[in-house]
Amino acid sequence: MPVKKYKIVLIEPSQMVAIGLKSMIETNPQFLVIASLTDLAKYNEFQHGTADIIILNPMVVKNTTSNLQSVVPVRGNAVYIAITYGPYNESELHQYDGFIGIYNSAAQICKRLQAALDSVSDKPKQDNGNELSVREQEILTAVAKGKSNKEIADEFNLSIHTVITHRKNISHKLGINSISGLTIYAIINKLIDVTDF
Amino acid sequence: MYSARMKMADIITDSKILSVLERLNIKLGFGEATIEEICNKYHLSTHLFLMICNIYSFDDFTPNIDGLTENDIPKIIGYLKKSHEYWLNSCFPQLHKNIHTMLDSCDEVNKNVLNKFYDDYDVEVKKHLDYEEHTVFPYILSLGKEKGSFRIKDFEENHSDLDEKLSDLKNIVMKYLPEAYVSQARIDVLNDIFKIEEDLNKHTVIENSLLIPLVSKIEQ
Repeated sequence: MPVKKYKIVLIEPSQMVAIGLKSMIETNPQFLVIASLTDLAKYNEFQHGTADIIILNPMVVKNTTSNLQSVVPVRGNAVYIAITYGPYNESELHQYDGFIGIYNSAAQICKRLQAALDSVSDKPKQDNGNELSVREQEILTAVAKGKSNKEIADEFNLSIHTVITHRKNISHKLGINSISGLTIYAIINKLIDVTDF
Repeated sequence: MYSARMKMADIITDSKILSVLERLNIKLGFGEATIEEICNKYHLSTHLFLMICNIYSFDDFTPNIDGLTENDIPKIIGYLKKSHEYWLNSCFPQLHKNIHTMLDSCDEVNKNVLNKFYDDYDVEVKKHLDYEEHTVFPYILSLGKEKGSFRIKDFEENHSDLDEKLSDLKNIVMKYLPEAYVSQARIDVLNDIFKIEEDLNKHTVIENSLLIPLVSKIEQ
């Protein structure tokens, strides 16, 4: 069975560290370092395409206040891993999905990369979990217009039980239970027009 | 947990216990007196006093009616009435005022719907408190004297939760009003809601864990 390879871009000014790290990471067949660069200027010239992991030394990022994704842009859902040479300041690393230290073993490094990948693959799901789905928005709109569960079930071809489940999920996500509260949510978010009722 | 031998002054560490004293008509200026001494002075059961204070101060405290008697009922009702008074005269008007300030800066549509939401809620609160004051409490106080058709379990059925819409309002103000709204007014509104929510919560514990079980026991 072919193993999915995670493509890694390494940005590290020290060649010694970069070469060492590359060979340690590639002891794990699922990781492949597709580029090893010494600074951000090189990164910008490089056609980064679809890297899965960006490992970089935070020292190469001059402006630490700006968003990492804008300084080191990448297409898709890459994770950012910091390389730390010594004690690190937690607040500086908050934008990273994980970090590795120069004293870590190959196994530890691969484990941290994997953990970061796992945390990100969960992320979009969780984010969507807090937003209403299209179907939930439709049902919320109907509720706000004063329709009963039965009417909603008929309109969307659902069982009443399913409508009730949707309504429970909507209230749980929004933290709004009353119909009048849900109506206000719908108006603020322009799901319905006040002239609708 | 508080105990009878503690100095009254030692347990007043926040505004919650302070308002408990006020609602029980206990005056400040008690020097070094213990809880027990003060309760005796005010003809209040120490047990009841401790129960109420523990409910307010310790969220994981489980109240029970052991040690409470029929004689404590008028005190509990007096306490609940005072709380109602405090909400109607102070908490809700302040919340209302802050909501007005908050809505001043927002567009007409949101302003109108939120005002209507609050006004409806206000009516609901008044109706609920009015029902307790004019139906439930008089019934409880007349227990043993006359036989009516009302039973405390009817109260339980009627006991709709006032906190649901308050929590809806909290989430709307916190999460869903546009960022552009004046933030101080918004924070004031949220602080008011937090305070009322907690008080309502404790109030419900007193009703459900002390008053109703005590009355059911007497009804039998």
